[in-house]
Amino acid sequence: MTSAQIDVLLVAVVVAAACAIPGTFLVLRRMAMMSDAISHTVLLGIVLAFFVVADLGSPILIVGAALVGLLTVVLVEATSRTGLVREDTAIGLVFPALFSIAVILISSLAGDVHLDSDAVLLGEIAFAPFNRFAPFGVDLGPVAIWVMGAILLINLACTALFFKELKLATFDPALAAALGFSPALVHYGLMALVSITAVGAFDAVGSILVVALMVGPPAAAYLLTDRLPRMLGLSVLIGATSAAGGYWLARLLDANIAGAMATAVGIAFTLVLLLAPRRGLVAAARRRRRQRWTFARQMLLIHLATHEGTPTESDESHPDHMQRHMRWPADFSARVIQTATDRGLVVLEAEHLRLTPHGREAAKEAAVR
Amino acid sequence: MRIGLRTGGALAIQATDLTLAYQQQPVLWDVDLEVPQGVLMAIVGPNGAGKTTLLRAVLGLLQPAAGEVLVFGQPYADQRRRVAYVPQRGSVDWDFPTTALDIVTMGTYGGLGWVRRPGTSERTRAAAALAQVGMESYADRQISQLSGGQQQRIFLARALVQDADVYLMDEPFQGVDATTERAIVELLRALRADGKTVVAVHHDLQTVTEYFDEVTLLNVRRIAGGPVDRVFTEENLRRTYGGRVAGIGGRAVGNDLEPSS
Repeated sequence: MTSAQIDVLLVAVVVAAACAIPGTFLVLRRMAMMSDAISHTVLLGIVLAFFVVADLGSPILIVGAALVGLLTVVLVEATSRTGLVREDTAIGLVFPALFSIAVILISSLAGDVHLDSDAVLLGEIAFAPFNRFAPFGVDLGPVAIWVMGAILLINLACTALFFKELKLATFDPALAAALGFSPALVHYGLMALVSITAVGAFDAVGSILVVALMVGPPAAAYLLTDRLPRMLGLSVLIGATSAAGGYWLARLLDANIAGAMATAVGIAFTLVLLLAPRRGLVAAARRRRRQRWTFARQMLLIHLATHEGTPTESDESHPDHMQRHMRWPADFSARVIQTATDRGLVVLEAEHLRLTPHGREAAKEAAVR
Repeated sequence: MRIGLRTGGALAIQATDLTLAYQQQPVLWDVDLEVPQGVLMAIVGPNGAGKTTLLRAVLGLLQPAAGEVLVFGQPYADQRRRVAYVPQRGSVDWDFPTTALDIVTMGTYGGLGWVRRPGTSERTRAAAALAQVGMESYADRQISQLSGGQQQRIFLARALVQDADVYLMDEPFQGVDATTERAIVELLRALRADGKTVVAVHHDLQTVTEYFDEVTLLNVRRIAGGPVDRVFTEENLRRTYGGRVAGIGGRAVGNDLEPSS
């Protein structure tokens, strides 16, 4: 790999890690779509701040973007608080409005500046290595790594410091308020983190990938663990792996890097959805299948136990009877009897099924429940 | 005043002229609430009577349009540490990725303040509270794997760990099994024996006299309040529930006339 490629990979991994942290709390607070809104509306903040400072590299741009990010949240909440539209509708109303103002401002007033709407949606991470951070002529690597690295550190530090507050305000905001922790402060603090992360990431990877990296990895991690610290760690890991995998995919297909990374996040989530050990679709299907067999075997045992020692026992215990009585298909019935025999629960004696002592015990247990 | 005289000293909770509205619709109208120290009080009333709103107003979670709330004679903000809150079980997301012990540990957060993290002593206290509600063997259990009764118990344990003087509970008996209900009643009595005060929103009219000392009948306005034997009468219930409590004999009032929400 060339050093430029390593730079791109590094930026991608840092962006992914930075997005996964606030993203985890967004997903738990059922506010995933807020990341969509904020990652678009920060553009308005960038544009407005640019008109003030006239420098695309100024950190004031990040401040402006964070403020507009918070404004987005406030407007969405104010709109849904009217009780006339729901929150998801409010998001759909507010963010296109702010985003389109930004697009109009760019196209009509800032035509000669490097700010174009394509770069906004998909970013241009491939150019990240060319914008170097070189104070006093010493080359310290791409600016994007420094910006995103700083944002990652801020996210890590805030999450570490306020972990307990974030957890409490997310799980039970009423208790948080009653105990004197302002859930509103935590809420807007988190939204500020989302905003600065979005604006930092946005320059490198565009708003679509910001959404993918904030929502996809935490959603996948949620299926893999039921501990919050592990969910945070797994989100970062899945995000970073997807970013690296997406970069590899982009080189393989000679495709847009941000697009390939978003695809990689989608693939990672789909794999987890299918294969997660306990909550995955495959595991769930296998569990259902196993339960079906267990249940069928229990029905067989209980049936035999009920008729044991009664005058009709010889009719009721014939293997063919099971098919009719339980309405089982022939092969299914045969397999149930086979597995029950294999487990030493029943024995076939002279064309009739008999419970073993072990089987009698199992029937009693099953009937109690 | 009547109750204040009876116990002497400050009332555990005293709300006066509390009025609260959602979008111009009054939810509580000029409500007085007087809770003496060391009693178990039920708040009873039909759906939409403002019971939860009353608790949330006492806790400062809602801003009243008028009126004031005093806890041991002072505003709630100065008495936070003396009040514990048990919200309705359905008010939180039980799929949250954490354990029973961690939820109970949240009860210690108020004492820790901002930034400081719970340590060994907090976790030990939380474990003791879990044991108090008979849930010690579920400490590491993911909360979504607990039954409704068990979830209610860890909420109670979380309140116990706050070691408060007043416990505000929103329907602690909602959707719990008979065993848990008995366990909760014993817990409430133990709290009373320790001189603690409990105010609980309660739905089952049949058990009010058995479980509680005092009752406040609420339907947007306060209909009546005071010792159960004096206040929990057919006449007052009829005034609280409107004409819907027909043919109640004595204290046995079917809770079927008040489907729980």
